[in-house]
Amino acid sequence: MIIKPNIIEAVNSLVSAKQRSILALIGIVVGIGSVIAMVSVGSIVQKEALRQFMEMGTDVITISEEFSADNSKKNKKLNIQTAMAIPGHCPSIRVASPYASTYAQFKFKGKKDNIPALGVTPSFLTINKLNIDSGRFIHELDRHMFYCVIGQKVADKLAAQGVYDPVGTRIFFKEKQMTIIGKIREAPMGGMRPYEINEGIMLPLSTLQRLDREAAIRNIIARSRDNAARDQIESEVNAYLSQQNLNGMKVRTAEELIAQMQKQMKLFTLLLGTIGSISLVVGGIGVMNVMLVSVAERTKEIGIRRALGAREGDILFQFLVESVLLCIVGGFMGIAIGVGASWIISYYAKWQFAVSYNSIGLGVAVAVAVGVFFGIYPARQAARLSPILALRSD
Amino acid sequence: MIQLENIHKSFQMGPVTVEVLKGASLTIGQGQLMAIVGQSGCGKSTLMNIIGLLDQPTSGTYTLNGKAVAAMNDKDLSEIRNRQIGFVFQQFNLLTKLTALQNVALPLVYRGVGEKERHQAARAVLEKVGMLEREHHRPTELSGGQQQRVAIARALVGNPAIILADEPTGALDTRVGQEIMDLFIRLNREEGITIFVITHDMAIARQCSSFVRMHDGVIHDH
Ligand SMILES: Nc1ncnc2c1ncn2[C@@H]1O[C@H](COP(=O)(O)OP(=O)(O)O)[C@@H](O)[C@H]1O
Ligand SMILES: [Mg+2]
Repeated sequence: MIIKPNIIEAVNSLVSAKQRSILALIGIVVGIGSVIAMVSVGSIVQKEALRQFMEMGTDVITISEEFSADNSKKNKKLNIQTAMAIPGHCPSIRVASPYASTYAQFKFKGKKDNIPALGVTPSFLTINKLNIDSGRFIHELDRHMFYCVIGQKVADKLAAQGVYDPVGTRIFFKEKQMTIIGKIREAPMGGMRPYEINEGIMLPLSTLQRLDREAAIRNIIARSRDNAARDQIESEVNAYLSQQNLNGMKVRTAEELIAQMQKQMKLFTLLLGTIGSISLVVGGIGVMNVMLVSVAERTKEIGIRRALGAREGDILFQFLVESVLLCIVGGFMGIAIGVGASWIISYYAKWQFAVSYNSIGLGVAVAVAVGVFFGIYPARQAARLSPILALRSD
Repeated sequence: MIQLENIHKSFQMGPVTVEVLKGASLTIGQGQLMAIVGQSGCGKSTLMNIIGLLDQPTSGTYTLNGKAVAAMNDKDLSEIRNRQIGFVFQQFNLLTKLTALQNVALPLVYRGVGEKERHQAARAVLEKVGMLEREHHRPTELSGGQQQRVAIARALVGNPAIILADEPTGALDTRVGQEIMDLFIRLNREEGITIFVITHDMAIARQCSSFVRMHDGVIHDH
């Protein structure tokens, strides 16, 4: 096939019909842009989530209270002793750390703010792979003491008020004075870590339960022993909890969460893929329209070319090259926009940005496919024109 | 080389069928410079389009170099148009976006000839028609006579067996028209190219080695 003259021809034709070409391009750019953004963001999120899980380790388990719609069935509440006894009763669990949370007023030098607080046990630190920046974490002997460990957000707040070394500082939480005994280094979120770690403060679990009688233990974060199988962990924990008359607790392993997240990711991809496809169809119809007008305007030219010996296939190819080229130009613009959008999203979401070369390949492939699919009809119309009728047209 | 026998051609114009060619027969031999004259609308262009394989007769037989045209498919017809026939039109029909050189080289594109070779061949024929110094001009930058010379160069570039010219001087003034006619006569004499010219100008027709008349869709030998 005669590619080079056709490409030159196509460029000339598209440039000479700038306005029309640009209008048709918008749909393609949006369509391919959203496809690229979705694929890139999807893969960035997935990598990010996996990275977080890798950091947290794959032996993390959560045991959480299910939000049951049936409120009449008053479940017995989990207490510290029952929770702490889990490793003793379930051989597949190495350590377990129950925690409770509340949300209340934080006050320092007259400045008030509402922040979350976690009631935790000493093992919470290592299970969540947290690091102490200064001071120490909650200790076994701190039971019932009004001590707290602060997260990055609270440290920032205090620093804004001139406290750069917060250990030893006294603050008020829920109208009770407490002493800061340590500061946790900011930990990346995700991978089953409770978000309150960075956002609020941590107190001994028993202290929190004295401050807030409503704050029940709804979650236990634990680690399994030697890659115990999910089914075994679940059956051991469930057996123990039902023996304690505790129902409606759900065991989740890291593995399961990864699988679930990947499933959600797929759904997300499918959804955005649908949006992208719709834009592409709209863009494709725009391209088809441009090509039909181009064919109509150049009927005489088609007649001349046929008189000079162009076969039906040559004319078909000429117009197909034109529509594919139009779509590829839109495709590259869409790729640039899609990659740019995913960079911006990653920047604000603090994800590690990465260009997915697969998505660029996909963008080009989709552009070519749209060009061929929506260009074939106009190109066939051009090719099937009777040479003499085309030549006689004006 | 061209043999038309009892050619009929009708056009459907809505509900009515108009018969334009009513049994035209014609033979054009190798090396002839033949003219066809007749009133406007009598069917000359229709006949030439059939000869040039741009259109098909409704009935009758057309034999080109011993081969029946009716049996040919699009690929065959395109190939013959490309290699054996050169068209020259009243309105020149150059592609306005292309330079003279590119226009002349265009038929070779459809033969898959490389750009360098195409331009070489195009320059050779542009020189023959005296238009080489205008090779980079676009049609709009050329006079009618110059455009027709470029169009003739385009018809010649593929070394066709026959040139079909449909009122090639019709859009030109008498003096320039005569120059174009002189060019045809020269090409016919010096290069032995077969030329078939439609005209309604008897002064032009008389300069040809033979001419026929067309009247009401039928050809009368002179
Ligand atoms: N494709 C067509 N459809 C309908 N009528 C046509 C078509 N082509 C030619 N005609 C008619 O055929 C007649 C002859 O046309 P043409 O061959 O161009 O005459 P000439 O070249 O001798 O002036 C005219 O009346 C013209 O309108
Ligand atoms: Mg005519």
